[in-house]
Amino acid sequence: MEPLTGMGVLALMGAAATIAGASEDLESDVGSQSNPNSQVQLAPQMMYPHRIYNKAISGEPPSNALICAIGGTVATVLMVTGAAAILALIVGSFVAMLVHGTYSVTPYIGRSASQKRFKQPIYLDIIRSHTPVIMGFAFITTFCILVISYLMISALGHPFPLPLLAFIWGIAIGAIGSSTGDVHYGAEREFQNFEFGSGLNAANSGNIVRKAESGIRNGIDNSWFCAKFGGPATGLAFGMVVFLSGWITVVFDPSISDTLGWEAIIAGVVIVLILIAFNRKIEVDARKRYGPYKVDDEEVGA
Amino acid sequence: MSAGGGGGGAHAAIPQNNLIAFGVVGGLVFIYAAYFLVQIAGPYMSFLGALGAICGIVWGASAVRRVANYGLGTGVPSIGMLAIGIGIIATIFGLAVGGIIGPILAVIFASLIGLVVGFLGNKVLNMGIPIMVQSTTEIAAAGAITIVGLSTSMAGTFMFFDEVVNGLTVPGVATTVMEPGYIAVIFIMGALAILHPYNANLGPDEKQDRTLACAFEKGGIAMIITGIVATVTPLASGTVTIVVGVVIWYVAFSEYYKRVKRDAYMISGAGLLPSKEELE
Amino acid sequence: MIDIVGILADNILTIVLITLGGILISLGVHFVPVGGAPAAMAQATGVGTGTVQLAAGAGLTGLVTAGFMMNVTDNMGLIIASGTIGAMIMISVTMLVGQMMYVYGVGCPPASAKVKYDPITKDRQDLYVSQGTEGHGVPTASYISGIIGGGLGGLGGSMIYYALLSIDNGLPEAKFIGIASIFAVGLFFVNAVIPSYNIGGTIEGFHDPKFKRFPNAVLASFIATFLAAIMGVVAIGGM
Repeated sequence: MEPLTGMGVLALMGAAATIAGASEDLESDVGSQSNPNSQVQLAPQMMYPHRIYNKAISGEPPSNALICAIGGTVATVLMVTGAAAILALIVGSFVAMLVHGTYSVTPYIGRSASQKRFKQPIYLDIIRSHTPVIMGFAFITTFCILVISYLMISALGHPFPLPLLAFIWGIAIGAIGSSTGDVHYGAEREFQNFEFGSGLNAANSGNIVRKAESGIRNGIDNSWFCAKFGGPATGLAFGMVVFLSGWITVVFDPSISDTLGWEAIIAGVVIVLILIAFNRKIEVDARKRYGPYKVDDEEVGA
Repeated sequence: MSAGGGGGGAHAAIPQNNLIAFGVVGGLVFIYAAYFLVQIAGPYMSFLGALGAICGIVWGASAVRRVANYGLGTGVPSIGMLAIGIGIIATIFGLAVGGIIGPILAVIFASLIGLVVGFLGNKVLNMGIPIMVQSTTEIAAAGAITIVGLSTSMAGTFMFFDEVVNGLTVPGVATTVMEPGYIAVIFIMGALAILHPYNANLGPDEKQDRTLACAFEKGGIAMIITGIVATVTPLASGTVTIVVGVVIWYVAFSEYYKRVKRDAYMISGAGLLPSKEELE
Repeated sequence: MIDIVGILADNILTIVLITLGGILISLGVHFVPVGGAPAAMAQATGVGTGTVQLAAGAGLTGLVTAGFMMNVTDNMGLIIASGTIGAMIMISVTMLVGQMMYVYGVGCPPASAKVKYDPITKDRQDLYVSQGTEGHGVPTASYISGIIGGGLGGLGGSMIYYALLSIDNGLPEAKFIGIASIFAVGLFFVNAVIPSYNIGGTIEGFHDPKFKRFPNAVLASFIATFLAAIMGVVAIGGM
C-alpha cells in the first residue's frame, strides 16, 4: 500500500480513537462504573445515601468489549447481506447502545435494592435522565471503535474478523479508561470536599460529595467536571495507543522486507524509552513542586 | 471492581443442586433438541439452542453468586472471565473431536479444567475458599453450555466441521461461527450474562430470586443477538430466535423489576436524600 | 474421527510453545503495577484498575499487532517481537497518562509505600506518601516493572497465537485465524486470572514483597495451560 494512504488511514484511526477514549471515560463517569464506583457503593453504608447512578455492569473492559463485539457482529451480519459499510456500522452501534442501556439499568436498580438496610432509595428520574446520556456516549464509543476496526481490516489488511477485532479494542479501551480517566473521577471529583493535593485518606472512605453547585449531585454533574481533564486525557491515551502501535508498521512496512520489520520493532523500543523518560520527568517535577508530606524524622533527630 | 460479599455462604431459596440439574440437563436437552429438530422440522427450531444457553447462564450466575459471596479479592468479574476462558477452550476441543457427543465432551472437559484450576487455586495459590473447587468446575461447565448453546443456535448445528449431506455442503460451527468472528460476541455475551447478575445485585440485601431473574434477562439479550446472527446462516432461522428472545427479555425484566420493587427501601419518582431522622 | 495421538506427536513443539506462552503471561501479570479499587482513589500505588483488565488490555493489543505482522511475514522472531512491543506501547502510554492524572488531576507525587527507596532511582519514597494512604501514582520502578509485565504478556499471547497458526492441517490460515485468536484470548484470560488470585488483586511491581509468590502462579498456569494446549492442538490439528 502507498505509505501516504497508510498515514491518512492511521490519522483517521487516531482521531476516532481519541473521540472514543473521551466518550468512554465520560460514559463511565455519568454512570459511575469500575473502581471509583466502589465508593458510591460504600457511601450508603457509611450513612451517606446519594443520588448517583450505580452502573456496576462489570469492570469497564468487559462491558466495553460487549458493546463493541455486539456492534461488530451486527455490522458484519448487515455487511454480509450487502449493506453499505457506513450504514452497517451505525446500525451495529445502535443495537449495541440499546443493549448497553438495559445493562446499565439493571445494576442501578439491583444494587440500590440490595442496600435496603442502608436506606438507599431508587430514583426513577435518575434512570430517566442518565440512561439516555449513558447510551449516547456508548453509541459514540462503539461507533468509533467500529470505525477503527473496520479501517484496520479493509484499508490496512488486518486478518482478524471484525467482531473479534472490535472485541479486543473494546477490552483495550476499557482498560485504558479505567486506568486513566477514572482516577480523576474517583480521587478528585468524588472527594472534592477534602483538600486538594493528596490521596484519599482511608478514614474518609465512602464520604463522597453529595451536594452539587445547585441541588443534589448526580452523575451528569460528575461528567461535567471530568470532561475538563479526565475525559480528554483518556482520549489522548487511547488515541496514542492506536496511533503509535499502528504507526511503527505503517512507516516501516514489514510486508516489504523483514529488515524493515525489525526497524519497526526498534522504532517501538525508542518510543517506549521516550515514554519512560517523559514519565521520569513528570515524577521528578511533581516531587520538586509538591514536596514531601512529612519531615524526615531521622534528619530531625540527628 | 470492589470485592464483594461479607464472607460465609450465601442464603439461597433454591438449592444449588437443583440449579446444577437445571443447567446440565436443561442445557444439554435443549441443545440436542435443537440439533435434531433442525434436521427433522426445519431451521426455525434452532432457537432451542439459545434456550439451552439460558439454562447454562442461570446456573452459572447462581454459582458465581455462591463463590463471589466469599470475596475473591479481585471482584466478581474475574471469575466469570476465567470460567468463560476455560469454557471456550473446552468447547473448541469438545466440538472438534466429539462429533455427535461434542456438547457432552465440551461440558466434561470444561469441568475437568475448572476442577484443576479450582484445586490449584486452593492448594497452590492458597485462596482458602471452601467451595472454590466446586464453583470453578460449575462455572466453567456452565460457560461451556452457554457457548455451545449459543453456537448451536447461530449455526443450526453443533457439528464443528462442514459435512456433505445428499450432495450439499452443510457448514459447521467452525465455518459459520468461528471463522467470521461471531465467537467473540458469544464469548463476551456469555461471560457478562454469567458474571453480571450477581455483580448487578451486590449488596447485603441481595436475594437469590432477584439475581436469577436478572440472569434470565441477560440470557434473553444474548438470545436476541444470536438470532440476529442466525438470520444470515443457512441452517438456522433468526426470526423465531429473536421473537422468543424478546419475549424472554420482557418477561424476565418485568419479573426482575417486580422483585426490585419488593426489595427496595423506597422507589421514588424524584426527590431529595433521606433525612437525618430517617437514617437513624 | 481425529487421530489424536498422531496430531500430538507431530505438534510437540507447538504444545511447548503454547505452555511457555501461558507461563509468560502468568509471570507478566506479576510485574504489572495494579492498585485495584483503592488506586482509583489515590489510596494505593499503581494503576487504578484490575490486574486482569490491564494485563488483558495490554496483551490483547499485542495480539492485534502480532496478528497484523503474522499476515505479512512468517518470521517467528518478528511476530512475537511485534506482539511484545505492541503491548509495551499500550501499557507505557496508559501508565504515563495515568501518572499525569495523579500529578495534575489529584495533585500528589508518585510514591510507593512498600519500599523506603525506589530500587531504580534511589528516590526516598515514604516521605511522599500522603496521610492515610498506601502510596499513589506510578514511581519509576513500578513504571519499568509494568513495561516488562506488559511486554511479557504480549510476548506470551503472540507466542500462543503464532504456535496455533503454525499447526499444519492442510487448510489456508484464513480458515482458522478466528479459532486461533479466540483460543489465544481464552487462554489469556485464564492465565491473567490465576496470577491475580495469587497476588490478591494488587501489586506494586517487582519490588513488592508479594512478587515473591510468583512461582505458585507459574506452576498453576503451567498445569492449566498444558491441558489447554493439548486440547487446542488437537482441535486445530484435526481440522
